[in-house]
Amino acid sequence: MSAQNAKTFTLSGYIKDKSTGETLIGANVVDLENPGSGTITNTYGFYSISLEKGTYKIGFSYLGYKDEKFEVVLDKNTQLNVTLEEGVLMEEVVISADKEDRRRNVEGTQMGTIELPVENIKKMPAIFGETDILKTLQLLPGVLSSGEGNAGFFVRGGGPDQNLVLLDEALVYNTGHLLGFFSVFNTDAIKNTTLIKGGIPANYGGRLSSVLDVQMKEGNMKKFGVEGGIGIISSRLTAEGPIVKDKSSFMVSGRRTYILDLIQPALKGTNFEGTNYYFYDINTKWNYIFSDKNRLYFSGYFGKDVLRFRQPSRDFTFDLPYGNSTGTLRWNHLFNQKMFMNMSLIYNDYQFEVNGGQDNFNFRLFSGVKDWNFKTDFDYFLNPRHNIKFGFNYTFHTLTPNTASATAGDVSFNTEFQPKRAHESAVYFLDDMKITNKLFMNTGLRLSLFSQIGPYTSPIDGTVFNSGDHVKTYGGIEPRWSLNYRVSKELSIKGGISVTTQYIHLVSNSASTLPTDVWVPSTELVRPQRGAQYAIGVFRNFANDAFETSIEVYYKDLRNQIDYAENYVNDISKDLENSFVFGKGRAYGAEFFVKKSIGKWNGWVGYSLARTERSFEAIEDGRWYPAVYDRAHDLKLVANYSPSKKWEFSAVFIYGSGRWFTPIRGFFFVEQNLNLFYGPRNSTRLADYHRLDFSATYTPKPNSKKAYQGSWVFSVYNMYNRKNPFFVNFDIETDFNTGNTSIEGTQITIFPFIPSITYNFKWNQK
Amino acid sequence: MKLVNRHTSLGKSFFLSFIFFIGFLSSCEEPYTPSTSELEQEIVVEGYVEAGNGANPVIVIITKSIPFLSEVGPEKFSELFVKGASVSVFDGDKTVSLIPLCLNDLPEEIKKAVAEALNLDPDNLTADICIYADILNQITREEGRRYDLKVEVENKILTATTTIPYHVPLDSFVWMDPPGDPNDTLARLTVSFQDAPGVTNYYRYFTAEVGSGLVAPFSSVVDDILFDGKKFEFPLQKAERRGGDFTPETFGLYKRGTTAVIKWCSIDKEHFDFWNTRDFAANSGGPFSTYTRISTNIKGGLGIWGGYAVSTDTIPVPVK
Repeated sequence: MSAQNAKTFTLSGYIKDKSTGETLIGANVVDLENPGSGTITNTYGFYSISLEKGTYKIGFSYLGYKDEKFEVVLDKNTQLNVTLEEGVLMEEVVISADKEDRRRNVEGTQMGTIELPVENIKKMPAIFGETDILKTLQLLPGVLSSGEGNAGFFVRGGGPDQNLVLLDEALVYNTGHLLGFFSVFNTDAIKNTTLIKGGIPANYGGRLSSVLDVQMKEGNMKKFGVEGGIGIISSRLTAEGPIVKDKSSFMVSGRRTYILDLIQPALKGTNFEGTNYYFYDINTKWNYIFSDKNRLYFSGYFGKDVLRFRQPSRDFTFDLPYGNSTGTLRWNHLFNQKMFMNMSLIYNDYQFEVNGGQDNFNFRLFSGVKDWNFKTDFDYFLNPRHNIKFGFNYTFHTLTPNTASATAGDVSFNTEFQPKRAHESAVYFLDDMKITNKLFMNTGLRLSLFSQIGPYTSPIDGTVFNSGDHVKTYGGIEPRWSLNYRVSKELSIKGGISVTTQYIHLVSNSASTLPTDVWVPSTELVRPQRGAQYAIGVFRNFANDAFETSIEVYYKDLRNQIDYAENYVNDISKDLENSFVFGKGRAYGAEFFVKKSIGKWNGWVGYSLARTERSFEAIEDGRWYPAVYDRAHDLKLVANYSPSKKWEFSAVFIYGSGRWFTPIRGFFFVEQNLNLFYGPRNSTRLADYHRLDFSATYTPKPNSKKAYQGSWVFSVYNMYNRKNPFFVNFDIETDFNTGNTSIEGTQITIFPFIPSITYNFKWNQK
Repeated sequence: MKLVNRHTSLGKSFFLSFIFFIGFLSSCEEPYTPSTSELEQEIVVEGYVEAGNGANPVIVIITKSIPFLSEVGPEKFSELFVKGASVSVFDGDKTVSLIPLCLNDLPEEIKKAVAEALNLDPDNLTADICIYADILNQITREEGRRYDLKVEVENKILTATTTIPYHVPLDSFVWMDPPGDPNDTLARLTVSFQDAPGVTNYYRYFTAEVGSGLVAPFSSVVDDILFDGKKFEFPLQKAERRGGDFTPETFGLYKRGTTAVIKWCSIDKEHFDFWNTRDFAANSGGPFSTYTRISTNIKGGLGIWGGYAVSTDTIPVPVK
């Protein structure tokens, strides 16, 4: 580098995939003679780096791609769009590219942030061969599965509603299909997944525990392609291609289950004719590049579970459809080489419905959340020392609690619950600062405001609020701060504090969440949840960055936590918020992580030692008890082995302390029936959980130049058939006349040794 | 009796069956033994005070809870009944002491009558069941009255209060063909009803075929929040005994040619809360629910002291 004077210029542009034109998120840009001075592309593949006037060798790299080097004479602001070619991990040439990525372990100010490329997820072993982003995330330390085979997750002692799950910026209120056994994310439609489990930066808000930011593929800008997979549970098909080459592209992806469709002919003429269950997802995206400065995106997601029960002999029908729809319209605008803006208009809708009837009696139960969201975010790459982000976010929420209606002949019944409405807004500012060459700091502040509006009748004093009247307003001051002190090239110490506020809540009566669980807003009665997380960690790379390691410890303080009262009954005639109790929580733990992402053998080991507790005045006088999200020991081992281009093997081992539950203390007679009564909440654990999964991916012709490519994934779930307890069932036999009574507990395991096979294929226009 | 998971809501059961189905029907079961066994027993009170047509005399049963163990034979079962307690009821005017009665100590004829009143099967009755009863019918039982119960046992005092609310009876009964496929042997009962406006009412009902004991349905209580003050008709399902075999084809229907007994009751809030939580706890559970503690109005123990305003109707089910 040769610096003649102090005048600085900006080098900026987009980094894209050479063959598809997809923008690359989080790609590295680095001044090769001054490593550590680099930057990464944002969510839209844009980078900007300001350097003093001079001539530089700039390297561009991205995980799994061959890197590029350019000599840049920087004597004016310069735009440089770069395309990178996908490489094979084992090839020598990409190792340096990956290295930048691995360095981020030590160099980034972010703690507890993990990016997962989808290609890696697809090769992981999976139950029934259904690969799943959320289940892969559960293999990271600090992230727990909400139950056997379940896609629901808990992060560092936070509840399932405390995760901000975004799909192309749209909130996904229910992330599960089929009681949460499968997630709503179809891996074929996904480009990138980022999980932030601690130190949430100020541009995200509204949830206490974590952020899961999922980006859909944009669609190939160069040529048409089709890919898909045929599995035991569901099959997938994705089509993508250019509308106007290098300017506009589309992507459409679908997935559907069909097991019960296949048995429909067998049900004909039986007492269950017409009974069915299926789920489907449709992801779609379109984008148009108007100019170097303007690009428009539209993306949509529509997913539904449909359960249909029919009993013709008794004229009985029961339908249970539920699902999410989201739509995101985004405009990327570049004001100048330093200032990037994204403006989004987002709609999302989650609906849950039950319909049924017999003869002239019909009933309907409905609940849902509908949001309109408008947000604008600015990235201002001020100078090499300051990368500033600021923006605002406004959401109009409509939350419909369980509203029931029924008709019996001419008479109708209705709970007459009004949907609850609210405005939620926030402004934020954050500065990613380089204070010295060794000290980096990310400082941010988010100010949030939530206002419940009428129509509403106060449960406290009976005040009637008309449509649009302000009922209750809450505010949140949410500082976010993280620091990285780089001790050496291989070692850094990071620390952070983040304060978060959550205005929309989901309270569940089960260990995981169910589609029946209802989101409720903060109201006069329900106050916003508040959380503060303190974390510190040591990050060290070894063996020339081949091994990335870290140790993080955290403490979390949670206020205004919500649960159901202990004598909760799901009375449809009662507004849910009257069944709540309020309390506090705390979680603390240490996470150990070792990762090797290069070589024939790669993978990671994560272990966490943690404690998560809750205390509610209304539950045993505020005794601190372990939450269902508590798991003292949690070990995860992921190993991948690629002996050749034809074969790849993966194995996953999980060990976790048993889940807490509330034990039965005994039984008592009333009306000659035995009834259960319970001991203290969560005072007993189920047996420890452990499991080994294995998968092998076979690509018959990896070097084929043909347009069509196929591969087989063979997968085994629960290799050694561990009987992990799913729940305990009690059989009670009693005869009050003779006094003979027997009580037997049975522990039930639902997923034993399960082999599966999936065929994946890809066709690309030549 | 399968207490947990038999009566889970239809949707959940179906989902669960689907999961088992896709699990290749190979989910497995193993006996479950708790790591710790609680041996301490709680005192359980079950007592009712009823007024109206078909009302039972005041009876209080005091038992001990069963610790989590596998089997209770007739001998241990008889030991669950607490003898030697002092049980009294204050009806607003006077305090009446209830008289202890053990069925095995009674002459055969009286034993049979008491067993029937207790909804037991006198022909199969071998267990020694002990109760406390207002044999002389001294307690004034009427709507609108409050009743205080006091139980002194093993140096403990348990108390509870209940009321007999003002009753809202069913208006009329109509027999209809069941929906779905034609059926000549079964009938559906439709009742018409006018709820009392302006007050929150709580209801519970029982059904029986003449000659067998009254049974409350799986969801045995309802409040009038959805139908306050309304006049309407609804199908009144025949209740099935908990733990009996569930047959969807006959569920809720009455056999033609028999005589049905319908006991319709008004209860107070605390009494409603007990059954509401009890029914919910017994009907849910399983893998998808956490526990629900059964509400009780007994201070110092478990169970219920409940007032009922009662109307009982005996109606033949016509033959087709």
